[in-house]
Amino acid sequence: MTRAFSPIWLVVLFTVPLWLQDQYTLHVLITTGIFIIAAMSLNLLLGYTGQLSLGHVAFFGIGAYASALTTLGFDVELFGFRVVHQPWPAIIGLFVGMVVAGLSGYLIGRLSFKVRGAYFVIVTISFAEVTRLIALNWVELTQGPLALTNIPPYTLGFPGLGDYTLWNKAAYYYFVLALGLIAYVVISRLVGSRIGRAMIALKENETLASSVGIDVTHYLVLAAVVSAAMAGGAGSLYAHYLKIIDPDIFLFIYTVTMVIMVITGGKGTLAGPIVGGVIFGFLPVVLRPVAAPAVQWILYGALMIVIVFMLPRGIVPALQRAMVNWTTPARKPALAPSIDAAKPGEGQ
Amino acid sequence: MAGPTPEGHVDQFLQHLLNAVMLGGTYALLGIGLTLIFGIMRVVNFAHGELYAFGAYTVYLVAAALGLNFFLGLAAAVIAGALLGALIEVVLLRPMRSADIDTVMLVMIGAWIVMQNTELFVWGGVAKAIVTPFPDAPLVIGPVSISWLRVFVVAAALLLIVASDLLIHRTKLGKAMRATFQDAETAALMGVNIKGIFTATFAIGSALAAAAGALLGPVFLVTPTMGDLASLKAFAIVILGGLGNITGATIGGFILAFVEEIGAGYISSGYRDAMGFLIIILVLLFKPTGLFARAERVG
Amino acid sequence: MKQFAGTATLAAMALAAGIATAAAQDSIKVGVIQPLTGAFAASGNYVANGAKIAADEINAKGGVLGKKLELVIEDNKSNPTEAAAVAEKLIVRDKVPVIMGAWGSGFTLAIMPKLMEYKVPMLVETSSAGKITTSGNPYIFRISPPSAVEAVAFAKIVDKLKIGKADFLVVNNDWGRGAAEDFGKMFKQHNIQVGLVETMDPPAQDMSAQLAKIKASDADTLIITTAVEQLTLIFKQAAALGLKKRIITTGGSQNPDQLIEQAGAAANDTTHITFFTPWNPNVSADPAMAKAFIAEWNKRGYPFAGLTESFRGYDGIRTIAAAITKAGKADPEAIRAAFWQIELNGMNGKIKFEKAGPAGQESGQSNPGIYLIKIENGKVVLPSV
Repeated sequence: MTRAFSPIWLVVLFTVPLWLQDQYTLHVLITTGIFIIAAMSLNLLLGYTGQLSLGHVAFFGIGAYASALTTLGFDVELFGFRVVHQPWPAIIGLFVGMVVAGLSGYLIGRLSFKVRGAYFVIVTISFAEVTRLIALNWVELTQGPLALTNIPPYTLGFPGLGDYTLWNKAAYYYFVLALGLIAYVVISRLVGSRIGRAMIALKENETLASSVGIDVTHYLVLAAVVSAAMAGGAGSLYAHYLKIIDPDIFLFIYTVTMVIMVITGGKGTLAGPIVGGVIFGFLPVVLRPVAAPAVQWILYGALMIVIVFMLPRGIVPALQRAMVNWTTPARKPALAPSIDAAKPGEGQ
Repeated sequence: MAGPTPEGHVDQFLQHLLNAVMLGGTYALLGIGLTLIFGIMRVVNFAHGELYAFGAYTVYLVAAALGLNFFLGLAAAVIAGALLGALIEVVLLRPMRSADIDTVMLVMIGAWIVMQNTELFVWGGVAKAIVTPFPDAPLVIGPVSISWLRVFVVAAALLLIVASDLLIHRTKLGKAMRATFQDAETAALMGVNIKGIFTATFAIGSALAAAAGALLGPVFLVTPTMGDLASLKAFAIVILGGLGNITGATIGGFILAFVEEIGAGYISSGYRDAMGFLIIILVLLFKPTGLFARAERVG
Repeated sequence: MKQFAGTATLAAMALAAGIATAAAQDSIKVGVIQPLTGAFAASGNYVANGAKIAADEINAKGGVLGKKLELVIEDNKSNPTEAAAVAEKLIVRDKVPVIMGAWGSGFTLAIMPKLMEYKVPMLVETSSAGKITTSGNPYIFRISPPSAVEAVAFAKIVDKLKIGKADFLVVNNDWGRGAAEDFGKMFKQHNIQVGLVETMDPPAQDMSAQLAKIKASDADTLIITTAVEQLTLIFKQAAALGLKKRIITTGGSQNPDQLIEQAGAAANDTTHITFFTPWNPNVSADPAMAKAFIAEWNKRGYPFAGLTESFRGYDGIRTIAAAITKAGKADPEAIRAAFWQIELNGMNGKIKFEKAGPAGQESGQSNPGIYLIKIENGKVVLPSV
């Protein structure tokens, strides 16, 4: 399973809307897909650079709001000046969302990488909370809890074929799938490149990496920017799909959802966030008829603890190990290093 | 738009001050509990706020649901908090001692999710009120008023703060804890039972959080999500006061309460809870070791 | 292999659809979305139970168009995203031709785009944000009053209360801010000065800072708009501060019985604008209907305190039933058109929809009456004004 997207999977994914009649399941697939993109971006920071950023939903939400505001237009007073913006096409909102989120990623990266470990975590959480309170209280810009409504869907212009507006679910599904694949390719190229190796070196041993000349802050900030921009893009997709966005998007519970997806799937693997995303995107739907929401969350929390204890590297690496053990004929270990399960949290 | 009279301004300020004192005392308890855990065990305890909520729900169970004595409820909350803390330490944290800080953090997040939703499942999402035996009419001192319940809360909080300080500085256990904080390996070599110290630390820290919840629960309302803000404010206080520094945590608790009151009263009430977060961000950016800590490597 | 799976799935779905259609012949489904869990679970369950009483009553009299009225009740978990998700499920999977929901304004707003997308009408029974009926959604029909309507109704008696200057303490969302704005406008038209406008976060529990400010102000009245939990805290904290102003609450989510129980003496001498008075059904618009509803509610063992909200579920389902009858068929478009034509008696006045919002895309808004009540010595009284 060196490549998560073998041809069979791709064919299945591309043909889903053709054989899936149930619009509701398609809806769940779309929202799951959007969260998977966000989880993949979190994986870049968490899995590959080793920084536990628990404010990730802030980038998601900033991207959502930036995109929505770009598309709806706004009229606010800022430091005594009236700032007016006329509505722009929705598809530009996607790029604006990514840019604004990326910028905040840069700021947060620059500012908070001065502190590491637990303090970094706390700063990122605080950042997300402050962003939520701003979205809630700066009513002139964000409508506060009234929410930004009637966000128009994307209109894609195909030269020669005319414009196409993404109203129906099947079309949106393909759009999310396409962007998801692009995001996947971007990340896999990034981690496979020299930059990616530097990031991984950082995660393994920061002091050592720094001593061999790797500019630690530079790479951390780069990871933060790419990660934030991607999360912002996912946020934009979310806003233009639900067509409504309110400050609840910044709630910590959404960050926790993304973290659970990445951790259980397998941080630091390409397929991990996808597997985790599918599980935790569909689990609520499956559990809804049989378990109260509180019980569902108890199960998620327990599942997360169990995974961290038993499969500390996540499901995907465990499956990979199982595949290796299964396909390799048994032989004496001899001088080969032991491939026993790592003790919890030994990292990769 | 006519505002308050000049005397009104002073009165209003004094009232804010009084509110801040009450909040500060309970915040200090939260902070001391977390600074001990975070400092001695280096655990990012996201479940701290859940112990706070647990304390409040215990009082609700004993005093409101079962109809027993209110003070009995308070005592039960503290004891139950200590026991629950010890349980969490032994079951979840002890097996993870060799793990890196990120992994432990995730386990604590899992514990937080499980605890909060268990409370939600058992008690429901609707807020609960705890009726206390204190008289309704407030204590009036000149232009300011304070309810008797709040007076009690201040007194109880100060008592517990002093008790914690005595525990840490005047007892053998406290000495062992301080030794472990300074250098766990050496302390172990010197014969300190590190395993026991960790359990005791987590139990004490959790008991203090539960006490804070037990005291504030009746003042406000008891909800399953009350622990979320408490956790984050506790972190703000620990960062303000410096890791492992009880005096710092105490002062930090009062500073946070004061900033919140003044911020909410004079700048914007909507951003009240943001004050804690702003403090965190500012302190970590400009003085990461806290306002009172001696120099210490961060991260 | 995939083809087989695909064919089998299609066959299963066709079978299921067939069974569902067969069952549907005997009943007309109405979707109900309420917060059954989460922070607003108490209110949501009151409304849902009120709705059930109405449905049972209608079915006992022969149902609608000869078929049984079947309520499909879904939980929005006190969350806007969840509200949108269950609305989607109700429309797409259960194929309901009409919905009632969703209690909180935030939840209702989240559902509104779905109504436009699928062209299904919704009866709004509790939400009071002005935006709901002014954003150009022709599928919205609301029987609960937005604060603008509440303010207009209050204007009829406000002069008698002799308010000189009023401060506002409102919850920081569409509902609270809207109330401050609409009541503020009305006050200015009646020569009442508006003082401070303080807000509090929906989950906030410590309002002492705002109350300290208000205590020091020179207004004689404090208008508060928030739900019962925050009201309990505000009353307790105001009493502890020694706040002496007259307090009037608005919004209809006060639940006076719960206030008395939890705030105790701190709730005395507070005045409330409500939309239904179960303590004295004789002043209702239709006393016989009110008494029957209260009797049935008590018979089912539900808490008396819930009557201040459950009547909305009752009125809502009766309104929907009237629309379906008028439409002659369980079709979303027909029901939508029928809403404009019906007129019936609700618990607090006539239910008849008037146009609200931008021309060409109006929503329907009904204008109920209000009642002023006061809490004195731990009891609810209707003051003579």
